[in-house]
Amino acid sequence: MPLQYYMEKLHLDEAELQSRRDFFEITPEDLQRLASLRSFAEKHTDVIIEDLYQLILGHPEAKKQFTDHSTLVRVKRAQRDYFLGLFSGTCDLAYVQDRLRIGVAHERVGIPPKWYLGAYARYLRSITDLISIEFGDRNDARAAYQSIEKLVAFDMALAMDTYMAAQLDALARHQAAIRELSTPVIRLYHRVLLLPLIGTIDTHRADQLMEAVLMKVVEEQANVIIIDIAGVPVVDTRVADHLLKTTEAVRLLGAQTILSGISPTIAKTIVNLGMNISAMHTKSRLADALELAFEIVGKRVTPLMKTSVSLEAAQE
Amino acid sequence: MDIRSSEKLVVASEDDVVLARRKVRLLAETLGFDQFAIAAITTTASELSRNIWVHAAKGSVLVEHIVNGSRTGIRAEFRDQGPGVAEIDRVLAGGYSTANSLGLGVSGSRRLVDEFRIETTVGQGTVVTVVKWKRAT
Amino acid sequence: MSVHGSIPVLQIGSTLLASIQVELRDTIADAFQEDILDTIAKTGATGLVIDITGLDMVDSYVARVLANTGRMATLMGTDTVVVGMRPVVAATLVRMGFRMEGVKTALNVDAGLALVSDLLARRHGG
Repeated sequence: MPLQYYMEKLHLDEAELQSRRDFFEITPEDLQRLASLRSFAEKHTDVIIEDLYQLILGHPEAKKQFTDHSTLVRVKRAQRDYFLGLFSGTCDLAYVQDRLRIGVAHERVGIPPKWYLGAYARYLRSITDLISIEFGDRNDARAAYQSIEKLVAFDMALAMDTYMAAQLDALARHQAAIRELSTPVIRLYHRVLLLPLIGTIDTHRADQLMEAVLMKVVEEQANVIIIDIAGVPVVDTRVADHLLKTTEAVRLLGAQTILSGISPTIAKTIVNLGMNISAMHTKSRLADALELAFEIVGKRVTPLMKTSVSLEAAQE
Repeated sequence: MDIRSSEKLVVASEDDVVLARRKVRLLAETLGFDQFAIAAITTTASELSRNIWVHAAKGSVLVEHIVNGSRTGIRAEFRDQGPGVAEIDRVLAGGYSTANSLGLGVSGSRRLVDEFRIETTVGQGTVVTVVKWKRAT
Repeated sequence: MSVHGSIPVLQIGSTLLASIQVELRDTIADAFQEDILDTIAKTGATGLVIDITGLDMVDSYVARVLANTGRMATLMGTDTVVVGMRPVVAATLVRMGFRMEGVKTALNVDAGLALVSDLLARRHGG
């Protein structure tokens, strides 16, 4: 998914950035300090990245993530960019976009959070050691470490957000696919549609069903739609109400609805509940609904002439 | 919950009712609501703005883009200092669905949105607040 | 063809075809009702087809005006059919609980004209 998509999905505008910088307590002083640490960072990047890779390669499960040599090279490069990016001295939209780009690269390769969160922790440990060696004075060291820690925390939040957004996207795609499968409005014949309903109908699904039905009726300019409910396990007032609403909406479009698959149980429920469904055509069997649908569009199903049989009879 | 944008409109004429619903439609379209949701929120805005104009002659509509976690929504507040709605419970129950235009506008709108709140005092005025969240797809 | 408060009305035989293309504000809807009933009185039209393909929003006020117009026209002897309602409009109206009673509907203008013809034939025992 492109960068812009994530920026929007995570509402990463100036206001949001400011809010995050405030909460993570990233001040202009922190950023200046980080910029001044750039040469220090460049000096030690190789060692720090190597530290990280020793950690990964020494851990059997983590190592499995990098069986592919090209993956290893790509991730190493991404990590290098990441690490140096901490010392850019900025924490603006461009910085965030850069972070997202790296996050997206990791997500694409399929690296779960525990590995890169572990990596962040590893960086912080490597840096602590190097800072105490480099900066003799305790205050200077502590200030430098804190600025780095703040920005790493900020980055971790972004990484988590990106990861979750990507996961939610995948989930949404699956849900959309399931919805497609569960709301198949079929073009049975010219101007005749069929919707075979299977499974429970909750309010959410009922809403989507009505919308799908209405769109299809107009798209196909269908005169009639058969809604078969033989596959719906429970038909109570709510489901019946949804069906009634859908029928009325279809009528407003100028088409008719036939409800088929009315079992004895459903018939009893509807009558006992005192529901008025006189506005709907209803049938027990789909075949009967089909015949009625044909009638509505001005057609009739008639048997073919049995010519072959009469020939045989004649020959005997 | 965050308010990303906010705009207040005065409603004192039919033109204002049209403007109010156009504003809401535009926001819904910009935020990427699906067409059924756009129709629902636009119709609601039309009903409730009209009620202001017809029953109170003057009032205001506050339209906001709100965000709650990963959810994006539109909140609209319809405020007037008109006569108030008597027997609000009955109105909301749909008791005045055909005869009284105010009744249907209010009870109908309630079914088109996700959150609905009405505060009304006879002789003092009415505030109706609605929220429609974008469908999570 | 004439324009009734910005809504063009065509006469096809003894049927009037009104195509609503503009966003309907209350006063335009009211004016439309007045004008169309006047036109029916003047022309003696036996059918009225109201095409709302162009409307992407119909609230309860407009829906009521349209339904009432249909019922009033029918009382005057003019069979009325509303055609071309959009899915989003139909869905919104039923969800609101608005019942558009006493108004016939058809998919499109052709279907509307055919229905009006049928209804006329039936009236004359045909």
